[in-house]
Amino acid sequence: MPFTITIGLLLSIIALSLWKFLSGGTGMVLLVKELRSFFFSPVAWVVLTLVMLLNGFSFTAALADLREGERSVTLTAYTFNSIQFWLAYFFIFPVITMRLFAEEQKLGTIETLLTAPVTTIQLLLAKYLAALSFYIILWLPSLLNFLLFQMNSTDNSASIGSLTGSYIIILLVGMFNIAIGCLASALTKNQLVAAMICFTFCLLHFLVGFILQNLPVSDVFRELVTYFSTQVHVRAFIDGLIDTRQLIYYMSFAILLLSITHHVLEFRKWKV
Amino acid sequence: MIRVSNLTKRYVGRTAVDAISFNVEPGEIVGFLGPNGAGKTTTIRILTGYMPATSGTATVAGHDILRDSLKARRKIGYMPENVPLYEDMRVKEYLRFRALLKGMRGREARNGIAEAIDLCGLTEMRGKMISALSKGYRQRVGLADALIHNPELLILDEPTNGLDPNQIRRVRKLIKQLGLSHTILISTHILSEVEMICDRVIILDRGQVRAADTPENLINRLRTVGHISVEIKTPAVMAADKIKKLPGVKKVMKEIADGEWTRFTVRAESGTDVRESVVALAVANKWSLREIHTHGASLEDVFVELTQSPHTG
Repeated sequence: MPFTITIGLLLSIIALSLWKFLSGGTGMVLLVKELRSFFFSPVAWVVLTLVMLLNGFSFTAALADLREGERSVTLTAYTFNSIQFWLAYFFIFPVITMRLFAEEQKLGTIETLLTAPVTTIQLLLAKYLAALSFYIILWLPSLLNFLLFQMNSTDNSASIGSLTGSYIIILLVGMFNIAIGCLASALTKNQLVAAMICFTFCLLHFLVGFILQNLPVSDVFRELVTYFSTQVHVRAFIDGLIDTRQLIYYMSFAILLLSITHHVLEFRKWKV
Repeated sequence: MIRVSNLTKRYVGRTAVDAISFNVEPGEIVGFLGPNGAGKTTTIRILTGYMPATSGTATVAGHDILRDSLKARRKIGYMPENVPLYEDMRVKEYLRFRALLKGMRGREARNGIAEAIDLCGLTEMRGKMISALSKGYRQRVGLADALIHNPELLILDEPTNGLDPNQIRRVRKLIKQLGLSHTILISTHILSEVEMICDRVIILDRGQVRAADTPENLINRLRTVGHISVEIKTPAVMAADKIKKLPGVKKVMKEIADGEWTRFTVRAESGTDVRESVVALAVANKWSLREIHTHGASLEDVFVELTQSPHTG
């Protein structure tokens, strides 16, 4: 019950801010402009190609392995619990978020933006949603792999639960890590610095579950920290377990990080 | 159009703007004049809502810039210093983006863009990438952006900065033309610019308003700040001392004119005319005097007089 309430609360916060964002159309104008700058730069296409390639490799590898004989994991689990997936995971976020605010600050265009009738919230949400939309577009081709396979297979090898779970967790970690990237980008004028900050925090978050493995710490502490481990979350979701705790965890952290970003952007206005 | 009262902006350890008050009436072209670091850009950034003031209030077209920020911003067309633009957009795309951002839609936006492009002479450049534009054209794109939504107030921060003389003339002409239908606040440190295009000047120095008047009045008020030059045939050192002792004389410089003639340049205090006493002195000492000439003050003299700090003066 408390979960239902919390999720309801989170969703209503999201709905409210989206409504505020879209009202008047200014948010939409900014969003379209951001998406446009994604697709008019070569970076987007390079990332898209790389992610498609990596997904293709792991999908092919998974198919080959499943052909060998009986396996206890599903095709989706095979595909997403692979080195290729985590490789993509680490370079996607810094690359798609580093530009967002750092570039505006470097060019000085943040001044023309914020002296137009635009609120900081609208600007922030436009950038965040643009990055998130691009992120979603990155994963669409991989979904095509599964759909095509499903259409041609006789049995239910790509189980629906596993597939849904996988894409939900991909969306959740995306929401979370893109919010980290937004914050990193708002903190600096230098895109490289923004990328490094984002990468470091994504990595730290990922490693939380790992680094303690061989250290002499109490089991309680180990378990507590493992709670935050992205890898553990991803494993659970790709096995088809859609855990509301993680829904709340990722969404609320995304909102928290975005509100910090908002403060950082506002703070910029207060200093030299 | 603009009402500013007791506006103060403090940064850590430094007061950039110190309790300034001034008004700008509708239809005026007001020059915001001051040496670098006088607080012009800070004041403008406060007026455009980019940063809040530490204390004091400002309203633009009746809207408080803090409480009614969005409405105030809609009334302002702002061109920041150095004209920040997106390098990866074409001129027309950029202007379209800005028009939409300022709440224009459909036909209104199309007309606004077309007019701005026409007015700023960007017709041939509208398909060009902004990264490929020269400084002069970038400035014009910034100006087109500022006036695209036909705002009541234009705020231009050093609009002729970094342009070549021809471009400067064109931009000035454009500003004068815009002044017919808009209120304009332009900041600059170029004096001749203010003399040429502004109805009124606000001189700002070290965060304070030193003077606010028409260029003519400022010059008249300080007319006697100007200096006189006299040529006298006499031993220079002694004469300079005597002239210096006259009431109202601030500074005497001497240079050899030709032969035994010496040219003295005499700077007097404001409000005093020393020509008569200089002549009287020459007569009393039986010096031959062959020329006396007064040089009227320019806005430059006013500016120097008002903004010179006691340390550098």
